Amino acid sequence: MALLKRFSSLYFAVLFLGLIGFRPASGETLDEIHQKAVKEGGTLNFYGTLAQVNAEKILPVFEKRFPGIKINHVDATSDKLVARAVTEARGGKTLGDVLQIPLENVVQAHDQGLLLDTNLPESSDYPVGLKGSFWVASDLQYFIAAWNTNQVKKEEEPKTYDDFLNPRWKGRLIAEPRDLEMLLAFAKYRFKSDEKAIEFWKKIAAQNVEFHKGHSQLAELLVAGQAAACLTCYSHHYPSRIKKGAPVNYMLSEGVASINGTAIFKGAPHPNTALLFARWIGSLEGQKVMAQGGRNPAHPKVEPVEKTRTAKTYFITASDLKEFPKYDKIWKEIFKLR
Amino acid sequence: MATATVARPGRVSFSLDPALLIPLVGAGVLVYLAVLPLLMLLVGSFQAEVAPREFIYTLKNYQAAYASEYTYSTFMNSLIFASGAAILSFSLGTVLAWLTERTNTPLRRIFVPLAVVPLILPGVLESIAWIFLLSPKFGYVNVWLMNLLGLESPPFNVFSLPGMIWVHAVGQVPLAFLLMVAAFKSMDPSLEESAMMSGANTLQTFRRVTLKLLLPTAGSVLLILFVRTLESFEAPALIGIPARIYVYTSEIYLAFNDYPPDYGRGGALAVGLLLLSAVGVWLYTRATKEGKKFQTVTGKAFRPRQFELGALRWVGFGFLTSYFLFVVLLPFLVLFWASFLPFFATPSWDAVSKLSLDNYRYLHGFRPFWDAMQNSIILATLTATVAMMLTSLVAWIVYKSRLPGAWILDFLAFVPITIPGIVMGMSLILLYVAFPIPIYGTIWVLLIAYVTRYIPYGMRSASGSIMQIHSELEEAASASGASWWETFKRVTLPLLRPGLVAGWIYIFIVSFREFSTSVLLATGDSRVLSILLFNMFEQGQVTVVAAIGILMIATLLTIVAIFYKFTGRVGIQS
Repeated sequence: MALLKRFSSLYFAVLFLGLIGFRPASGETLDEIHQKAVKEGGTLNFYGTLAQVNAEKILPVFEKRFPGIKINHVDATSDKLVARAVTEARGGKTLGDVLQIPLENVVQAHDQGLLLDTNLPESSDYPVGLKGSFWVASDLQYFIAAWNTNQVKKEEEPKTYDDFLNPRWKGRLIAEPRDLEMLLAFAKYRFKSDEKAIEFWKKIAAQNVEFHKGHSQLAELLVAGQAAACLTCYSHHYPSRIKKGAPVNYMLSEGVASINGTAIFKGAPHPNTALLFARWIGSLEGQKVMAQGGRNPAHPKVEPVEKTRTAKTYFITASDLKEFPKYDKIWKEIFKLR
Repeated sequence: MATATVARPGRVSFSLDPALLIPLVGAGVLVYLAVLPLLMLLVGSFQAEVAPREFIYTLKNYQAAYASEYTYSTFMNSLIFASGAAILSFSLGTVLAWLTERTNTPLRRIFVPLAVVPLILPGVLESIAWIFLLSPKFGYVNVWLMNLLGLESPPFNVFSLPGMIWVHAVGQVPLAFLLMVAAFKSMDPSLEESAMMSGANTLQTFRRVTLKLLLPTAGSVLLILFVRTLESFEAPALIGIPARIYVYTSEIYLAFNDYPPDYGRGGALAVGLLLLSAVGVWLYTRATKEGKKFQTVTGKAFRPRQFELGALRWVGFGFLTSYFLFVVLLPFLVLFWASFLPFFATPSWDAVSKLSLDNYRYLHGFRPFWDAMQNSIILATLTATVAMMLTSLVAWIVYKSRLPGAWILDFLAFVPITIPGIVMGMSLILLYVAFPIPIYGTIWVLLIAYVTRYIPYGMRSASGSIMQIHSELEEAASASGASWWETFKRVTLPLLRPGLVAGWIYIFIVSFREFSTSVLLATGDSRVLSILLFNMFEQGQVTVVAAIGILMIATLLTIVAIFYKFTGRVGIQS
C-alpha cells in the first residue's frame, strides 16, 4: 500500500512534469536559450554601469558558463548610456541588447519607448518593489558616509548622519551632485517630512560641500585625502580599498538603498542572448556571481560577500521614482547645482 | 567656319579621361569626408524632437544655446581659457625658441629635442598628471609646498580656470616652440646687426628690432594657439567639468551625454564653435599670406646671429633647466610613480613600502586594456597610411596636374582643420547612426573621423614635398612612355617618401593620442586607449590609469622608433 502510494505520487509528479514539459511556466531553460543565442552570432551588447573592478569578476563568469558568447561591455555613467541609446534610436538603430543601470535611468529609457515589456520567470523570486513590467533588480547600492582615517580621529568618527552637522566638518565634505536620492529618502523615510529633510540638507549645504561626479571617483578622492568625509558614497566601494590598505572607513549604521535594474532593449539585435543574460543575472546563480563580484545582490536569498548593507536602511522603491523630478529640483536648489 | 567647331559624332562620348576621373573621385571623397558631416550637423541644429523620433524645424535650439542664463559664463570661460592658454603657451614657446635658437645659453642644443618631448604625452594623461600634482588637497606640489613653507592652505588648485589654462598651455608649448623656432630661423639678421652697430645693447635690440620683426608671426601663432585651445576637450573634460567650469566643448559634450540628450542645443553650440574656429583659421591664413608679401627673400645666405647674453646666459640656462624639470619631466615622473601605487597616496615612506607591480600585473590579464591597445595601434597605423596616401594624391593633383578647379580640392582638404574634434564626433554620430552603412559603433567610424581630421596635416607635409619636385622629372617619365599612374608610382612617390614619412609619423602620434572625437564615437569594442583612460579615471582606478598611461607612452615611442628606423633606411637620401 505504502509502495503503491509512493508510486502514485511519483506517477502524478511525472504526469505533471510531462504536461508542462519540464519547463518553468513562461519559457525555456537557460541552456535552450543558450543554443539560440549562439546562433544569433554570439555577441551580447551590454550597456551597463558596472565598474570595471566588478565587471571583470562577473562578465567572464557568464562567458564561461555559456561558451560561444562574448560580452561587448559598453560602459559609461548611466545618463550617458541612456543618452547613447536615445541617440541610436533617433537614427533608427538599436545596438544595445541589455541595459543594466540605476532604476531611475531604466525608467527614462522606458519612457523613450526603448525597452521591452517582459516578464522573466526569475522575477517571481523577487518581492514586489524589486521588479516591474520591464525590469528586474540586478543589485542594490547603499549610499553611505565614509571618511579618511588620516583626517578623522577615532573619537570624531560619525555615528549617524546628524554628526555631520557639527562645525568641525565645515569645508571637509564631498558628495556626488546627482544624489537626490539622499534628499528623497530622508524626506520620505528618515524624517517623514519634506520640511525637516530640506532643513537638514540646508544645514549640510552650509558646511560647504564639494561636489564630484562619479561615485568611484569620490571614493578615490577620499582615499587620496581630497576631503575628510564623503556624504553620498557607495558602500560596496570600500571593502576592497580597505583590504589594499587605503586609509578609509565607512558608516553602516544608516544609509539609503537604491535599485539597479536589468532590462532588455526593444528590437535588440540579439534578443535571445539578451534574454539569456537578463535571466541568468536575475537567477540565484547569477546573483551569487554578482555577490562574488563585489556587488550587493538584490535576490532575497543571496547575501553580499562583504559588509555593505546598512543597519537602518531607507529604501527607495520603484514607486518613488515619479517623485524624482520634484526632489531633484529641491536638491539642486539647496546646493546651488546646475 | 561653323563646320570646324562641330565635333565629329564619333568623338562625342561620356568616357572620362582617367586624369580627370581621379580628381573627381578625390573631390568626391573629400566632400563625403569633410562636407557631409557638417551638413548633417547644420540640419540637426535646426531640428527639435517633439515626440520620440518626430522632428520639426525650429530656431529654438539657437535660442537655447545662445540666449540662456549660461550663455555669458560659457562664452567668458571659453574666451579666458583660450586666450590665457594661447598667451601662456606662446610666451613659454617663444622664450624657449629664442634661448635655444638665438642665444649663447649653455647646452641649449640639448633642450631643442627636450622641448618637443611633451608631444608624446596624450592630453588626457597631461591633465591627469597635473591633477596628481596640483589637486588642492592631495596634489604633490601642494603637499610639498605646504610642508616646506608651513602654509595653512594649498597654494594651487588645478580645478579652476587658471588650472585649466596651465594644463592645456604646457601641453601646447611644443607647438608654439616649433612655430617660433621656424620664425626665428627665417629672420633676416641684418636689421638686428644694424641696431647693434648703431649702439643698441642686447635688450634694446631685442625689444626694438627682434620683437617688432616677430610681431606679424607672433600674431598668427597666437591665433592658431587660441583656436586650438578653443577646440580642445581634454582639460575641459577632466578639470573643467568636475570644477563646474564649462566651455563650449564641454557644453556640447554635456548636451549630448546628459539625459535627456539635447542634440538641437548641442548642434547649435557646435555650429557656433565651428564658425569661431573657421574665422580664426581664416584670419590665420590671411595673416600668414600677408606676412609673406613683406618678406625680403633674397638669395643671400644668412645665418641669424646669436645674442651674447653674458652672465645672463646662466639665467637662460636656469630657465631651460627648470622648465624641463618641472614642466616636462614632472608629469612623466608622477605618472610613473603612481603606476606602482595600490591607490593614490602622497609620497611618504609608508607609500614607498606599498609600491608594487600589481597594476601592471593586473593589466596583463585585463582584456579591455588589450582590446583598446589593439584598436589604438590599428587605427593610428591605418589613419596615418590612408591619410598620407589620400593627401599625396590630392596634393599632386593640386600642385602638378594644372587641372582647372584643382584649387577646389585644396580648399576641401583644408576644411577639416576648422572642425573641432568634438564637433566632428557629434556630426559623425548624427550621420552614421542614420546611415545605411553599418559602421556606427565600430572602429571604422573612428577611422573615418581620424582620417578626415588629419587630412590637413597630411596635405601640409605632402604638398611641401610635392612642390619641391621639379616637373621635368615627371615630364621625362611621361616622354619615355610611362602612363600617368606609372609616373606617379615610380617617380613622384619615391621622391616624396621623406616628406610622407614625416607626415606619417606625425599623424600616427596624433591619432594614437586622439581624445576629443573618440570620446563620442568609441564604445565598448571600439574603445581606444585614451577613452579607456578617461573611463577608468572616471571610475576611480587612478593608479591603474597611470600604468596604462606609461604603457601607452612606451608603445608610442617604440612604434615611432621602429617606423623611423625602417623607413629612414629605405627613404631617399638627398
